[in-house]
Amino acid sequence: MCEKKSDLTTNPSHFENQNKTKDTPTHMDLQWNDYKDKIKGFKFFDPHIHMVSRTTDDYQNMAQAGIVAVIEPAFWVGQPRTGLSSFKDYYSSLVGWERFRSSQFGIKHYCTIGLNSREANNERLAEEVMEILPLYIYKEGVVGVGEIGFDDQTELEEKYYRLQLELAKEAKLPVQIHTPHRDKKRGTERSMSIAIEHGLDPSWVIVDHNNEETVKSVLDQGFYAAFTIYPFTKMGNKRMVSIVEQYGAERIMINSSADWGISDPLAIPKTAALMVNRGIPHDVIRKVTYENAIEAFAKSGQIQVSDFESSTPSDPNEKFHGNSVLRGGQLPKWNQNSLYID
Amino acid sequence: MPTSYSSYFYPLLKKHTTESEIKWLDSIPKDNPNALMTAFVKAPRFLSKTIIQEDVEDQNLIPNLPGFQVNHWNLVRLSRVWFLGFLVTLSKDELIEKIETLFDTAELNELVALFSSLPILPYPQVWLPRATDAVRSNMGFVFDAIALHNPFPYQEFPELAWNQLVLKTIFNEKPIQMIYGLSERKNQNLSISLISFVKERWSAGREVPANVWQLLVPYLSEGELYLVETLFKSRREEDVLAASLICSQSELNSYQLLGTKHPKFLEEIKNGKWDWSKLGNNH
Ligand SMILES: [Zn+2]
Repeated sequence: MCEKKSDLTTNPSHFENQNKTKDTPTHMDLQWNDYKDKIKGFKFFDPHIHMVSRTTDDYQNMAQAGIVAVIEPAFWVGQPRTGLSSFKDYYSSLVGWERFRSSQFGIKHYCTIGLNSREANNERLAEEVMEILPLYIYKEGVVGVGEIGFDDQTELEEKYYRLQLELAKEAKLPVQIHTPHRDKKRGTERSMSIAIEHGLDPSWVIVDHNNEETVKSVLDQGFYAAFTIYPFTKMGNKRMVSIVEQYGAERIMINSSADWGISDPLAIPKTAALMVNRGIPHDVIRKVTYENAIEAFAKSGQIQVSDFESSTPSDPNEKFHGNSVLRGGQLPKWNQNSLYID
Repeated sequence: MPTSYSSYFYPLLKKHTTESEIKWLDSIPKDNPNALMTAFVKAPRFLSKTIIQEDVEDQNLIPNLPGFQVNHWNLVRLSRVWFLGFLVTLSKDELIEKIETLFDTAELNELVALFSSLPILPYPQVWLPRATDAVRSNMGFVFDAIALHNPFPYQEFPELAWNQLVLKTIFNEKPIQMIYGLSERKNQNLSISLISFVKERWSAGREVPANVWQLLVPYLSEGELYLVETLFKSRREEDVLAASLICSQSELNSYQLLGTKHPKFLEEIKNGKWDWSKLGNNH
């Protein structure tokens, strides 16, 4: 698949700043450290983040900021994959290594599995990927088929989008839709009408990367509307707050979509702090940063709220309990604020 | 045709499942490999994670497979291994292809079940590279599945791989007493690696689990006497106990003499109050 030149230079994976305007991140003038206290006691669920591109520092900061669970949708890791094995390894890392790594920091990791829209344009490979998808979508902790949908809105993208909707229906799994950067409004409408045409219940479909232009229609048709807080793009968290003020909390959820682009794994806690500051009631904040994501994806039957609700974050330094309960701790936490590295 | 051990699992499964769970387990056609593979993947959708807790800690589930035990497994893991047990009737090539596919696409808990099943699968040499690779895994649960309470490494690992397994278990601060056949496979090369490990740890100001020393006893020479002297000076009681055990078990005069200079535990060791297994339980 050939990328356009603009993609190669700027190339954020979820959003593109087509007009090349110099957007300043809306939260730059507020110091995060001053706002941390506002969200003490909140629990957050990030239903869209690509931890494969993030470091363990991120996990530590996320855990400290109250993020207790994440969903990692299968997507494009920047470098196009050249063979089926790369897909297998990638999917396996989502259900294996990445899930283990997050558990070391007390964060519950789920994923959605799918063939992403960009790579649907490589038909030979797409065919092969479709064959192995059933082996993955039934796995423990796979909470949906995703992220699928449109990028360039080509015929091949539509073909594999439809095939995967059928797969989701058969497996009784929610669907996570990636909406295109270019021609977003039309792409979003098209994604929704195709989903309905395939008989999917809109309450089983999460439409991602919404903005002011798309939100009303998505909600009116009964879908979940997810919003990505991603710096230097059209959706900053100040405007997110306005959307919540206007549309309320029903079926709205916030995510970071943090990945290999300039992005922020703390987008949810930061947005929550901003909402607290703007006087939005705590139960509304809780819905859009935690409960709605669980409500939507728990339809998979794969989310045990008790796994992250009641337990205290796991301490990797903790030893075996007696001789029976085996823990996997190998990456102990350490005090990053100390000058000494012990 | 290789024997299927699956019949040994069934009474346990029956005991630990609900009515709907056993109904699902019964419903899977055991002569259909693809159905078994899908059931292997889907198991958590139909089964709880009830922990199999039996009083027979030391008893082997399968009489001619010493060391193979399922205690503390959860129901999903037990059922998965049970499913795999039915695949052994396939031809060698078919069986390998099915198992390899499951390995290649496995998530964390599936990997645990796959490595747990190795002792009941035929053609152990085929799985050996996977098993030694699992020892290199950074995923603790996967490492545990091959290293702890699993007779496969004891039976099949060449010495180098076996020593790596023991070293990594110590390095990861996991209880070595859970390695099946630990004592039987002590060896000179392992002890050489362990002595340098001890020195490295000590010079970094770190500790070494006291029960590690049991692996060194037959191989300690006069040259290492100073290490045991150092051990006696430790502030940790378990280190002093380990030093006492070494001296009471060593055949060298110098060690026996050193032991008499530190009589604190000698009598109790003679009375059988202390042995190496007692040192492992602090974890
Ligand atoms: Zn994404």
